[in-house]
Amino acid sequence: MALESISVIKLRDLLLVTVPPDPDDETISALQERVLQAMALYEARGLVLDISTVQTLDSFFARTVAETVQMVGLMGGRTVLAGMCASVAVTATQLGLTVGNALTALDVDRALDLLNAAPSGARCV
Amino acid sequence: MKKATNTPSKSPATVLGSEESFRLLVEGIKDYAIIMLDPTGHVASWNAGAARFKGYRAEEIIGKHLSCFYPTEAVQQGLPEQELKTAAKEGGFENEGWRVRKDGKRFWANVIISALRDKDGSLRGFSKVTRDLTERKQAEEQIQQQSKEIMELSTPVMQVWQGVVVAPLIGSLDSQRTQQFMERLLNRIVETNSPVALVDIMGVPTVDTQTAQHLIETISAVRLLGAQVVLTGVRPAIAQTLVHLGIDLTGIMTRSSLSGGLQVALDILNLKVVRKDDSR
Amino acid sequence: MNEPHQGEFCITSENDIVMARKVVRDAATALGFGITDVTRIVTAASELTRNIYHYAKSGVMHWRSLNQDARVGLELTFEDSGPGIVDLEKAMEMGFSTGKGLGMGLPGVKRLMDELVIESTVGKGTTVVVRKWLKK
Repeated sequence: MALESISVIKLRDLLLVTVPPDPDDETISALQERVLQAMALYEARGLVLDISTVQTLDSFFARTVAETVQMVGLMGGRTVLAGMCASVAVTATQLGLTVGNALTALDVDRALDLLNAAPSGARCV
Repeated sequence: MKKATNTPSKSPATVLGSEESFRLLVEGIKDYAIIMLDPTGHVASWNAGAARFKGYRAEEIIGKHLSCFYPTEAVQQGLPEQELKTAAKEGGFENEGWRVRKDGKRFWANVIISALRDKDGSLRGFSKVTRDLTERKQAEEQIQQQSKEIMELSTPVMQVWQGVVVAPLIGSLDSQRTQQFMERLLNRIVETNSPVALVDIMGVPTVDTQTAQHLIETISAVRLLGAQVVLTGVRPAIAQTLVHLGIDLTGIMTRSSLSGGLQVALDILNLKVVRKDDSR
Repeated sequence: MNEPHQGEFCITSENDIVMARKVVRDAATALGFGITDVTRIVTAASELTRNIYHYAKSGVMHWRSLNQDARVGLELTFEDSGPGIVDLEKAMEMGFSTGKGLGMGLPGVKRLMDELVIESTVGKGTTVVVRKWLKK
């Protein structure tokens, strides 16, 4: 079930992944696997993780995201977390979670703009 | 006054005799309770004002001890005796406090007690002038309550431009208030799809380590959403405090004025303000 | 809301972490908590069930609604018969973890909830009780 629930969409030289609302650990680990395979397959230069429907961001999820950002970075891509809910952001901050070097954007449109506008560097969390 | 009693004049008061007219004067005053107490604190005389706002008629109260005007806890603390003692020792005594009417209702009173002594200096009794200041007290309490409410007022988060919200913080920031503020700010950023939030701290009286920590936390949460905070209204005093406390705001955009912050916001959004005549 | 609502949920597999989140989310929402508080409570529950799964392999989560002094709240109890925590004080320090890099654990959970009580005996197990009160 875990693997089917995640689809990686290729948009030109970028990848778009929509994270399901309440993913279990298996799904989150599968997501990392899928993303890295797609990065290699398409030689993508960026990844947008749409987390707008995610209701719970706990330490395991945050750690996997931070790791994925780092791995994608090693493969030459930059990651943008798009659309985090206000309630999730408040909770994550209070819990003391970080998402590593991920960029962030209010929604997928802005995330795509961000990756298209600045080839490298730019603002980080 | 002494002269007036000894020297008859043709003024109307003298028709009745000066002492009698003075008694009528005192008895007729309605805004002040003016009473006489004997040296042990029992009521010896009672005027219209006393009857009006203490609620007792003269015949009910004369001979009673003054402690019946005080709330129970004040009587237990021995306040009536203390006040008389002070008045006897120092000649007079003034105080404000709660007193009780005949019906049990409390009123906020200003009380002046003066010791009355005869020529030999022996204590003959006390005069006690009481004013009802309940209305003033209530007004003061209302002001206090209102200023407390102002402190607790939720911070408005306003959209001032497409993509820019402004939150003017006023008053001190405790953790409860920060949490509410953080939630409201983040929700508004998402609702208005604004990549920039100007958080103005001009109205924050003091920024201590705790407050700074709360601000940093809020800024981190905003970043997770994909928006940025520009901290504005950093007054000289706040800048000094932040540096002296060793609070690290590296990576956080700060400006001394809100207009400076708006400029930063426009830069982030890649916008420019031009004069109308320049565009022609 | 007169009778206390309560229930329990066994944690035996990794998938139960997600199921426990659903149970807690429903309970917190039914009590009238707002979206941010619901997220806080569910996230705290997620951390605590994960601790049980990782350190003790299995355990039980009890939940019940509270009604004290005109206040309404939610209490979650996490019980396991695992190895226990050797140094409780250290476990409550930010950034300390013996497990799989889940250092946010207890201190983070404490910040999300209003109350946290922990009892642990080495070799016997651990009980964590957390409470969150509904803000008027």
